[in-house]
Amino acid sequence: MTEILRLSLPITLWLIGFSAVYGLQGLSCSRHGSDDLNLRAVLLAAVVAAIVVQVVALAAVLRAPSRSGFVQATATALAVTALVAAVWTLLPALTTSVCL
Amino acid sequence: MTAALTAPQARPAPPVRGTALRLHRALARIWASDPRLRGWLTTSNNNDIGMLFLIVATTFFVIGGILAMLIRAQLATPDSAFMEPQVYNQIFTMHGTVMMFLFAIPFFEAISVLMLPGMLGTRDMAFPRLGAYGLWVYIFGGSAVIIAMLMGLAPDGGWFMYPPLSSAAFSPGIGADVWLLGITSIEVSAIATAIEVIVTVLRYRAAGMSLSRMPIFAWYILIVSVMILTAFPPMILGSLLLETERAFDWPFFQVENGGDPLLWQHLFWLFGHPEVYIIFLPAAGMIATILPVMARTNLLGYGWVVSAAVSLAVLSFGLWVHHMFTTGIPHMGLAFFSAASTLVAVPTSIMLFSWIGTLWKGRARMELPMLWILGFFATFVIGGLTGVMLAVVPFNWQVHDTHFVVAHLHYVLIGGYVFPMIAAIYYFLPLMTGRTRFFKLGEVAFWLVVPSFHVTFLAVHMAGLLGQRRRTWTYESGDGWEALNLIASIASFVLAIGFALILLDVVVNACFGLRGRRNPWGAGTLEWSALTPSPNYGFASIPIVAGRYPVHDDPDLAVRIARGEGYLGDASRNRRETLIVSTARGEPSQVAVLPGNSVLPFVLAVVTSTSFLAPLFGAYRLAGVALVGIVVLALIWAWGLGSRHDEGPVEAGHGVRLPLASESADPPGWWGSLFLLLADGVHFGSLLFGYAFLWTVAPNWPPASYLQPGLTGVVLAGAGAVALVAGPRLAVRAVKGGRAASPAIALGLLGAMALLAAAVTVIIDRPDPAGHAYDATLWLLAGHVGLHTGLSTIMLCFLMARVAWGYASPSRSGEARIVSLWADFTAATGLIALGAAWLPGAWG
Repeated sequence: MTEILRLSLPITLWLIGFSAVYGLQGLSCSRHGSDDLNLRAVLLAAVVAAIVVQVVALAAVLRAPSRSGFVQATATALAVTALVAAVWTLLPALTTSVCL
Repeated sequence: MTAALTAPQARPAPPVRGTALRLHRALARIWASDPRLRGWLTTSNNNDIGMLFLIVATTFFVIGGILAMLIRAQLATPDSAFMEPQVYNQIFTMHGTVMMFLFAIPFFEAISVLMLPGMLGTRDMAFPRLGAYGLWVYIFGGSAVIIAMLMGLAPDGGWFMYPPLSSAAFSPGIGADVWLLGITSIEVSAIATAIEVIVTVLRYRAAGMSLSRMPIFAWYILIVSVMILTAFPPMILGSLLLETERAFDWPFFQVENGGDPLLWQHLFWLFGHPEVYIIFLPAAGMIATILPVMARTNLLGYGWVVSAAVSLAVLSFGLWVHHMFTTGIPHMGLAFFSAASTLVAVPTSIMLFSWIGTLWKGRARMELPMLWILGFFATFVIGGLTGVMLAVVPFNWQVHDTHFVVAHLHYVLIGGYVFPMIAAIYYFLPLMTGRTRFFKLGEVAFWLVVPSFHVTFLAVHMAGLLGQRRRTWTYESGDGWEALNLIASIASFVLAIGFALILLDVVVNACFGLRGRRNPWGAGTLEWSALTPSPNYGFASIPIVAGRYPVHDDPDLAVRIARGEGYLGDASRNRRETLIVSTARGEPSQVAVLPGNSVLPFVLAVVTSTSFLAPLFGAYRLAGVALVGIVVLALIWAWGLGSRHDEGPVEAGHGVRLPLASESADPPGWWGSLFLLLADGVHFGSLLFGYAFLWTVAPNWPPASYLQPGLTGVVLAGAGAVALVAGPRLAVRAVKGGRAASPAIALGLLGAMALLAAAVTVIIDRPDPAGHAYDATLWLLAGHVGLHTGLSTIMLCFLMARVAWGYASPSRSGEARIVSLWADFTAATGLIALGAAWLPGAWG
């Protein structure tokens, strides 16, 4: 089970982070959003947090390697994928209008 | 407890002549299905279940194909009077529904159930009776949908049933209900099969088959099964919401009462987009299995392909909004999902380049399975590229709801799924039937199908680019679409003839082909080391493997397995035994005793289907009786498992003694429960998402007032959850320590009652769920708590009876652990559900 978690956790964390940022953006632009907050700053902070989580996940995979070379290589590839996915898919928080 | 692997060369002295035949006869008797018709109703063997699945799924494919021909006949000419618009609406709705739900998913499940045990080196699936139950639920649910269509009662709101069109006001009658209840029952079947597949892949393998030595298809189907558990629950929740709205007027999608139709789209596409990959990935697994064999080499980049498949699966859950680009979502949201949609091209390309590289390094032979794989390449790449086009928001806006989308999805689904599955059928035909092809209709069919497919759907692409809307029953002459539609329709009929020829070819060769030899393709995976056609017991002994291609590594493997030189090569205990291994390293760890033939799965499926279908006719009382019947039958089912005596470790072969699964701390049932709770958790998470969505963006919120949490409810919930967690845990300790478990179980029961009482306070405080979507949501949250406390109560009472009857002992504590797992889930989600119900009121 540990090996299965090692393989699946980093990319699952991407999905959680991606959904959370999307949800935060939806919430910020809804009737519950606050006019006093700088929405882009809040979203960028969330994006940075999501990317940091992926960096930590990658570091954890590298620092506590599996006894199986296959599992370790695959887990590393998936953790790198998750990091790249976090950067690429959350990039719009920097580049597009927030609530338009 | 695991055993170190015994190397093949350390095996015992060569057995005496005749051992293989005696073993075969003994195992064939132990694993035999019942004779005649009764055998089909009572069998749980993977060969029988898989074959029935395959036949039924193919029948639905034929029905879906006939519906497609009706659609093309209608669209062949402008101003066509072939069909009334009401009939056309039913036909296109049923075509999509049949192909997506009744054919695509069950078909790959069929191949998985048939082939997976052989590939993994085990004797059957992990939960044979669950597999039989899933099959019958699928047959009854699917048949009900088809019968409704024949009676003119089919749904007509499109295969994704958007409200408000599918709401009671705009879709009166039972058509939409048939869809919602019928499809939900089929999803229950899919979840049952997914759990069975996951536990089989993780635990039921040949000795020595570590994760890195698993056949590539096992990886794909493992990933897909986890996707089914996480993608289907949002859809099941959506169906529940829409059906309760239609039946009881709970206004989840009615804007005037706090609902929002967009909630349906979110829930549907949370399922619907991963569904595309749920369909594609098994086909990709088949390609990765077949193509290296056809190229006479090994798969290039096995690890990269596994990484790509996992990436693709998870990324696919971040794409659902790209089906909703025209619903007015802010640009940033669109850009998130556009970026994610383009990203999936990367893992897909890794797979494609792996396959191209495999072809490059091997020496391909143009057998029929290979032809279909080449047809896949030519078609799927085009479908993938039009998918990238659709991921770009401005282009998507232009072609939304046009025939361009229709053409794209057919390129992906037929090119990316049907073609590889045809390759799989031809590839495995010698294994399934013991015969090789003699009649060569298949090649003719290939050259009919692939060109005609491209003519059909290139024309449909063009019609879409020229603006032809999908789901419109006709068009006027002079629109510029006449020639394209006529070409598409003529080619589609050629396509249908090609598919009919394939069916004919498979049936004729299965019945009258030449008797074939074992492993005609020269493949290296374990399924080809079994007898052909595979006997019910699969392997005479469980193989010991030391590589990814054990048949290549050891040419004598088939003979040594047949002689009983693997594990469990002794039938003297006269029961259906197979090996359980450790998840990661594949070390032998337990011996599973699988159940025999039983009519129980069939009867339970009849009762389950009744509970789903009775509401269609307003027979709610019958549905209630059926629900009670499900509980009673499930208890009878569970009571028949396990033992009242400790047997201790048993001889597994090679001098290794292993505990029985029923005398282990983590029996297969615990693993099955864990994955079922994963699906349950996603269902609950989807409900919370729906609640948050309505609270955030639905018009006509907030409601007139929020529920105010009272001290009584909060105390009941908190104390109940603590007792419900503590009681079963103490019961596990008591069972393990050989002490009386009743007081601890009673504590758990009290906890369940208290949690249920807390949920009841919510219902009492908000008595009208039809008044506002908020109230309806509170009822569902309370209903979740009520359902799970009810289940926990039944389980705790069952555990108490099992302990009293001697079915538990210090070494047989697995059942108590399973109950504890469910109790933990009930307590955790119960607290969250009630917290969510009370939060807005407490917030002020």
